[in-house]
Amino acid sequence: MGTVQHGDRDIQGWQGIALAVAACAAVTLLCLPLANLLAPANIVMLFLLTVLLVAVRLGLSAALVAAFLSVALFDFFFVPPRFSFEVSDGQYLVTFAVMLVVAVVTSTLAANLRRNALASALEARRARALYEMARELSGALTMAQVAEITRVFLRNVMNAEGDVLLHDTQAGFRSCAENAPPSLRIEPALALIAFERGEPVRCNPLAGSGSAALYLPLKAPMRMRGVIAVAPLENSAAELTDMQAQQERLGTMASLVAIAIERVHYVEVAQRSQVDIVSERLRSSILSALSHDLRTPLTALVGLADSLVEYRPPLAMPARETAMAIRDQSEYLAGLVTNLLDMARLHAGKVTLRKEWQPIDEVIGSSIKLLGRALAGHAVRVRRGGDLPLVEFDAVLIERVLCNLLENAAKYSPPDQDIGIEVALQDDCLAVSVVDRGPGFPGEAGDSIFEMFVRGEHESTRAGVGLGLAICRAIVEAHGGSIRAMNRPEGGGCVSFSLPLGTPPALDEEPTGLEEAS
Amino acid sequence: MTTGRLTVLVVEDEKLIRRFLRSALEEEGCTVCEADGVGRGLTEAGACKPALVVLDLGLPDGDGVDFIHNFRAWSEAPILVLSARSNEQDKVRALDAGADDYLTKPFGVGELRARARALLRRHGRHGDAVDPVVEFGSVRVDLSQRSVLRNGEPVHLTPIEYRLLRVLLANSGKVMTQRHLLREVWGGDRVEHSPYLRVYVGHLRQKLEEDPTQPTYLLTETGVGYRFQPPVAALESS
Repeated sequence: MGTVQHGDRDIQGWQGIALAVAACAAVTLLCLPLANLLAPANIVMLFLLTVLLVAVRLGLSAALVAAFLSVALFDFFFVPPRFSFEVSDGQYLVTFAVMLVVAVVTSTLAANLRRNALASALEARRARALYEMARELSGALTMAQVAEITRVFLRNVMNAEGDVLLHDTQAGFRSCAENAPPSLRIEPALALIAFERGEPVRCNPLAGSGSAALYLPLKAPMRMRGVIAVAPLENSAAELTDMQAQQERLGTMASLVAIAIERVHYVEVAQRSQVDIVSERLRSSILSALSHDLRTPLTALVGLADSLVEYRPPLAMPARETAMAIRDQSEYLAGLVTNLLDMARLHAGKVTLRKEWQPIDEVIGSSIKLLGRALAGHAVRVRRGGDLPLVEFDAVLIERVLCNLLENAAKYSPPDQDIGIEVALQDDCLAVSVVDRGPGFPGEAGDSIFEMFVRGEHESTRAGVGLGLAICRAIVEAHGGSIRAMNRPEGGGCVSFSLPLGTPPALDEEPTGLEEAS
Repeated sequence: MTTGRLTVLVVEDEKLIRRFLRSALEEEGCTVCEADGVGRGLTEAGACKPALVVLDLGLPDGDGVDFIHNFRAWSEAPILVLSARSNEQDKVRALDAGADDYLTKPFGVGELRARARALLRRHGRHGDAVDPVVEFGSVRVDLSQRSVLRNGEPVHLTPIEYRLLRVLLANSGKVMTQRHLLREVWGGDRVEHSPYLRVYVGHLRQKLEEDPTQPTYLLTETGVGYRFQPPVAALESS
């Protein structure tokens, strides 16, 4: 793309006028020796031709100068009495008048013609530049490339500095060029107005401040993508006016850029999800291989130790106790491995939830059943408010939360004390609390007990690595709920988690009174 | 326990696990034959005609579910599946393919023996007339009379509730997947009905369990389905 803006216009002004004077002088010199051979009418024709040529080549002002000068030179050199401005024959006054009018009219017409030709040539070059830009944009693969193409176009074709600003709902505007033009100053408020209204915003910044004068919204088919900020290079009023005249073209440019940005955006999204899928698959295959490899020896260990315990005839008591200890420790180790693997799974990537609408009672009952021996004789009292709605959750994971909380409660409760589960509706969620009569949580622990590997103060002597609550939090948060721990005024700890209610599917009531059918 | 020694086929690739499975099952009075993969398992199954198959789902030479499909084509013998805890989907696939029960690894010998005993007993009485009267807790259900009594008082069940209870009782001790129950009770396995299933199980618990939040007989197998757990006394007596 060459520089399109300038060029021929520079010949105008004093240079053009001097050339016009020189042309007239040349014609005079040419005609002087021929003055006796040529009829005055033909000399007039030669001068008119000169004016026409000047008009075509040098523009209106030079042509006007040439027109008046030609009349004066003709009068002075060729009209008798020669070498004076006096006119002996009154008829020459008509010649002068006609010559002047013809010269002025032709020069005006010719100059207009020339200006139009120049303008359409400029238009054609700009259109071509736009076309080339569109072609380059279609090959752009990154946002930075799009920004660079836009800047080159603005600089070369529009004689302006510009930058592409992408909008992000969280981060606001950011330049997508690798090295944004340092001279360009952007007013974020104006950019935001252009972005939100979807219309160009113009302002008249102080000359030489380098501030952007025009903000063009990038309206792509799917949504508004951002804004292009444009500042004229020489901050003159003429450039600004020109830019306003070019608004339509700039608008076209903006929509081309917007489409390119949207395309690049979707290419990036597609690539990212491709990468996500591949790494997710890798992760889950590693985790399941690990899980299998860790669980197989543990299963053998638990089973073999247990068959020693059950051995017929029974082993001597010390040997049997040893076998029981091996079995219990192996089971405990298996629990730890499960926790670690679950944590790895939950932290490794997006948790895939198998959510279904179901009553919370389902998992309360099953988690109590599942824990069985681990509850160590603590009875669990369930208190639930009357009519609870269905909630959408992943039963396996929420059961895991309840198991972990119940296991914790059992660990810290004094022997023979009940553990409580309380279910209640709270605003727009269902709150489930597990309460115990243990020592409660250390005052300042707060949320940190839900971090990985963090444990309460007075538990250094108890088994556990502090993963249970971290798993609970990861699961509850994946459901869009929250979890917190507190101490109850009457003593004991309470961990409470909430699940968002949502709108359960409408279930048709079964017609009643059909006893005879059953 | 039953006449003659029953044969149990153990399909499991880990030798040490096979070893304690064998000793536990021999304690139960069974003859045990072993296989370490799907291929060998099918050959052994054809040779020893097992009365029960204990099957690990994660086998080196193939999917345990393929074994179930193949085996079910010619045998009705119960299948007990061994699987890791986090693989509920695998369990459901295995149960839908025709497995009867599952054990989550790691498991104790006592649990294994109890499950194996229950499966063998249920299968053994297959030919006999099924006792139409089932009692659990304070509830007495007479399937021939279509009557449900609790503490001697009749309990009103809707047709769907009754159908659901009947399916669960008829498969006493067996894990029923959601899909299976939906098909049996509602007809067609339309997943959008699964909230209905959960709600109706809830109704049954309200009407029949002592403590509906901590059921003893109508148990949830989380992520898999439901099971009617017959009372221990009934197991001992039969």
